[in-house]
Amino acid sequence: MQAPANRRESVRRGSGLGGFLGRRAIAGAFLVVGITLVAFVLTHVVPGDPAAAALGQRAIEDPATVAAFRARYGLDDPLWKQYFTYLFGLLHGDFGISQQTRRPVLTDLVEYLPPTIELALVAIVISLVVGVALGTVAALKRDRWPDQLIRVVSLTGVSVPTFWLALTASLIFSVKLGWFSSTGQLDPGYPKPPTVTGLLLVDSLLDNDPFTFQMGLHHILLPALVLAAYTVGLITRFTRASVLEVLGNDYIRSAHAKGLPRRTVILRHVLRPAMVPIITVSGLAFGSLLSGTVLVESIFSWPGLGQYAYKSSLALDLPAVMGVSVIVAVIYVVINLVIDVLYGVIDPRIRLS
Amino acid sequence: MTIPDEPRLELEAERSSGRRLFSRKDAGIDRSPWSRPLAVVGAVLVIGWVLVALLAPLIAPHDPNAQDFARLQPPGGANLLGTDGLGRDLLSRIVYGTRITLPLAVLLVVLATAVGTVAGSIAGYFGGWVDTVVMRLCDLVFAFPGIILAMAAAAALGPGLRNAVLALTIVMWPSYARVVRSMLLGLREAEFVSATRLLGASARRTLAVDLRPNVAGPVLVLAALEVGNAVLLLSGLSFLGLGAQPPDAEWGAMVSEGARNFDAWWIGVFPGLAILTVVLAFNFLGDTLRDALDPRTARALKGSS
Amino acid sequence: MGSKQKVGSLALVVALATVGISACNPTPKTTAGSGGTGGGAATKPLVIDTVFVLKSADPARNYEPTGNIVARALYDTLVSFKGADLKTPVPSIAQKWEQSADGLTWTFTLDPKAKFSDGTAVTSDDVVFSLNRVERVKGNPSFLADGLTVTAKGPETVEVKTAAYDPALLGKLASPSLGIVNSKLAKAAGASDAENAATADQAEAAFAKASMGSGPYVLDSFGLSTEVDLKANPNYWGATKPNYQRVVIRNVDAAQQKNNVEKGESALALDLSPDQVASVGSGVVSSGVPSQYTFYLFTNANPAVNKWTANPDFQEAVRRGIDYNGLLELAGKGSRRAAGMVPVQFAGSLPDDKAPTFDADAAKAALAKSGYDGSPIEISFPSDLTQNGVSFTDMSTRISADLNKIGIKTALKGAPVATVLELARGGKQQVGVWLWGPDFPDSSNYLAFGPGGIVGGKRVNWKAGSDPALESIMKQAATEKDEAKRADLMGQFQEGLNQGPVMGLIQPAQVFLASKDLKNLTYNLVWTVNVAELG
Repeated sequence: MQAPANRRESVRRGSGLGGFLGRRAIAGAFLVVGITLVAFVLTHVVPGDPAAAALGQRAIEDPATVAAFRARYGLDDPLWKQYFTYLFGLLHGDFGISQQTRRPVLTDLVEYLPPTIELALVAIVISLVVGVALGTVAALKRDRWPDQLIRVVSLTGVSVPTFWLALTASLIFSVKLGWFSSTGQLDPGYPKPPTVTGLLLVDSLLDNDPFTFQMGLHHILLPALVLAAYTVGLITRFTRASVLEVLGNDYIRSAHAKGLPRRTVILRHVLRPAMVPIITVSGLAFGSLLSGTVLVESIFSWPGLGQYAYKSSLALDLPAVMGVSVIVAVIYVVINLVIDVLYGVIDPRIRLS
Repeated sequence: MTIPDEPRLELEAERSSGRRLFSRKDAGIDRSPWSRPLAVVGAVLVIGWVLVALLAPLIAPHDPNAQDFARLQPPGGANLLGTDGLGRDLLSRIVYGTRITLPLAVLLVVLATAVGTVAGSIAGYFGGWVDTVVMRLCDLVFAFPGIILAMAAAAALGPGLRNAVLALTIVMWPSYARVVRSMLLGLREAEFVSATRLLGASARRTLAVDLRPNVAGPVLVLAALEVGNAVLLLSGLSFLGLGAQPPDAEWGAMVSEGARNFDAWWIGVFPGLAILTVVLAFNFLGDTLRDALDPRTARALKGSS
Repeated sequence: MGSKQKVGSLALVVALATVGISACNPTPKTTAGSGGTGGGAATKPLVIDTVFVLKSADPARNYEPTGNIVARALYDTLVSFKGADLKTPVPSIAQKWEQSADGLTWTFTLDPKAKFSDGTAVTSDDVVFSLNRVERVKGNPSFLADGLTVTAKGPETVEVKTAAYDPALLGKLASPSLGIVNSKLAKAAGASDAENAATADQAEAAFAKASMGSGPYVLDSFGLSTEVDLKANPNYWGATKPNYQRVVIRNVDAAQQKNNVEKGESALALDLSPDQVASVGSGVVSSGVPSQYTFYLFTNANPAVNKWTANPDFQEAVRRGIDYNGLLELAGKGSRRAAGMVPVQFAGSLPDDKAPTFDADAAKAALAKSGYDGSPIEISFPSDLTQNGVSFTDMSTRISADLNKIGIKTALKGAPVATVLELARGGKQQVGVWLWGPDFPDSSNYLAFGPGGIVGGKRVNWKAGSDPALESIMKQAATEKDEAKRADLMGQFQEGLNQGPVMGLIQPAQVFLASKDLKNLTYNLVWTVNVAELG
């Protein structure tokens, strides 16, 4: 996480946006390589033999079966060679083959990443809408009862254990009240819309299929709301702070003095500049949602990356664990880049250089 | 689990806020946290839970590990909060759970603060390639999927709460390193530091004598704020079965048992409420503490976010 | 953000919320253009909820419970079983078979009616290809076909020779992993039964796209972690056609399954615990019978690992110190005390009255005799494993408390299966709590627990030669051709086992929660449920 101040500096020092992006991309690439190294070392210091984890007791007794397994996954090579083989494959878009699913890890990632992205997106959209609204109200009513109330709400949001909230929400809204479905993305046996983006809600709209869209919404809403509890809290508090900061500027006072309606001042002169830190925190929260959904996904039987990461690490599925780490790191780098660019778009002051 | 920390921006914002225009009264003068109801509620809750931990044997009606009762008794009967799947008294387990959660959360914060402060001081004071290395390491941890990092570390070190604390230290230290580094970056150029350096003081002396007092305060505040977060992380790891070992009464592990059987809702709901109130208490307290910080510290904390 | 946008987005949230809460109003889109995936709500599918343990759609590589349900529906085997019975093999692709006098050669005559879902006939070549392939791709089920020489003796005759006498052969041939695949289609998809099939065979992905069997169902779609959709095989050759046109087997967290069945969203849930079905809604029925799994405990027989667990008196103290009724209470209604290791479904399982019993005084006496000095004993268990609703964490915690009561100090060591399994297999655990599911439906499977067996020898360090009397019984049981005598020998073997370091604990209950309309539901220990039998 870099502070806004640091970001501004780094943009100014660069030779224009292109040079800046280039340097960030190179740093990002190094970061990803670093991640592969850490992941590789970590997964190899874990006690346990992947062959023992993947093969049954009877198969483990057969030397030929074990040898075939070890040969298939290159487990007999020296460690440094295994690592460079992996890096070399990665350069060619080859993430290796998962020992659990026995499919290319890339195939697995393409299947499991979109549901998680979709869940995180819905959660972040809900959080932005609710959080910005609450945060603005809190800032405008600073230290009066709405502010105090919103403060309690947002603090509760960041304090509630997600796994417990998932359990309790499922218990109340799905089991007792029956308002939401809490299993999977669609009703059982219902065909998915043709894959375009991989995001079910988007694909169903592209397919002009409101029924599937609605069903998808019915399934995604409860897990997304559970995930949003934390980010609503976070965004509310950032919005409040950010709006307060902007309110202190002279131009707000002059805008007000000019006799512009209060509503116009708030929307045009306050919220727009205030969005900068809000976007930063939303971007980072989105990134953390991607790897932090594991607890929610399992309770809602959501076929996403979190469950895949959890199951692979439990099963010592090294190629899968490496693949998840790399993809999350890449997303982290990309999100940071996007935030940097958005900074310039939203707050022209940053482009002064 | 690289969730961004609390908005430190707020500090700066509060000072220069637009109360001239939109605020009814000037509320910024009285900065004592104790005048704010949230701080009082938070403090009372924290003290309450600490008392529960200290007096657990007196408060708990039964031995938390005794499998003496009928299984899966709903709350309200002989066992106030019901019993779990092994016939243990839930209330007693929640009460004794404080003795696991609170000390370990504090230990986790202390360890992460120690590692982070040392790494951050070295990076901020020496700058140059040392700084680069430490900061890239922080980046690495932030970019790494927290769940995998914690699970791999827990698996490598072996299961158990002590190792879970070590595993989570790896996840948490970078936030502290960044705070300390950015504070030092500001202080390094301060006149009094340059002066002692000119007088021939060693780097270690400068760090230990001149800079430590200026850094210690804010770091302690930050640490206090993070206890709630630490409770969340620890219980999350236990929920996944990588923390507490049975028969220890750990809240996250208890929620995990509740997640297996919705009919026995009380097994999961009550320990979860315990987690919620503890974290909430620390966050109430921390939130107001942060507001009460002096502006210089505030700026340093802000730079870290 | 303009004001209209903000109002708009607020309105969107409200809209989202109402949509989520209200029932689905729009009608399903007709599936004319959506890739032939079958009509949306045209026929209500049979929905089965289970926690997926599924790795492959390729029968030759599948060795997991969920995969067995799927493979059983898609691939017919040479012989099979009906309902819950595992003692009488019934014809399937083979309409009859003969065993040679020495018991080593089996001749199977294929049913001329048998044909694959693409309409072509099942030939002896397909059988030879399929069985050889299982052995040579070197997957988890390969051992089932180990040592078999399979030859085609004519278009409708197959000869199977075993290297040694194998009383379990028919049971093994009934395993869904040994399903007969359409060799022409499979070869076209990259399948191989050559010696180097472990690397040459590239067909696994193709099996996940379309099935190539002769079973009552064909594969519609295969999601490894979501759902597997089956539809009735239009060319099915068997006498009784499946009742359900569509079957959906989907991955659902165990806690949610009950709610889904009670709401009518699913017809059958497979992973509930007896606790969860203690009270159920009106439209559903629950049943519980002992499952295929045997929970057992071992004390390491190697004094170098732990001097006490290797001590026979200490072992006796553990055996008499565990309150088995307490364990049964945890496992719930339908569970059974494992009198010996062999599940009650198999010939040769030990009657209940032969089970070692809980006796705290006897346990304390044995402990005193062993000279135990109070040093803590580590009890290892897989912390992430819950089978039939019984968690190993709970089970081990209860056992630990029992042992504490008779004076044994314990330390519980739980860790994810992948990390502890290797320690267990390496024989490094002092006390281990584990489960065993049969690899094939025959009691000979359980000889693994004797001295020198793959469990007894390796996990427990109970080396060959340490109990000659017991080992001679094991040898006889492995070769005895008379079924009644063999069952008797297996009984004797388990009585011997019950004096040693391996202790059977319980068989947990396999609970079915089903909608009242579901008929013919029986628990088969090999493939859990045969979806084609359901009515």
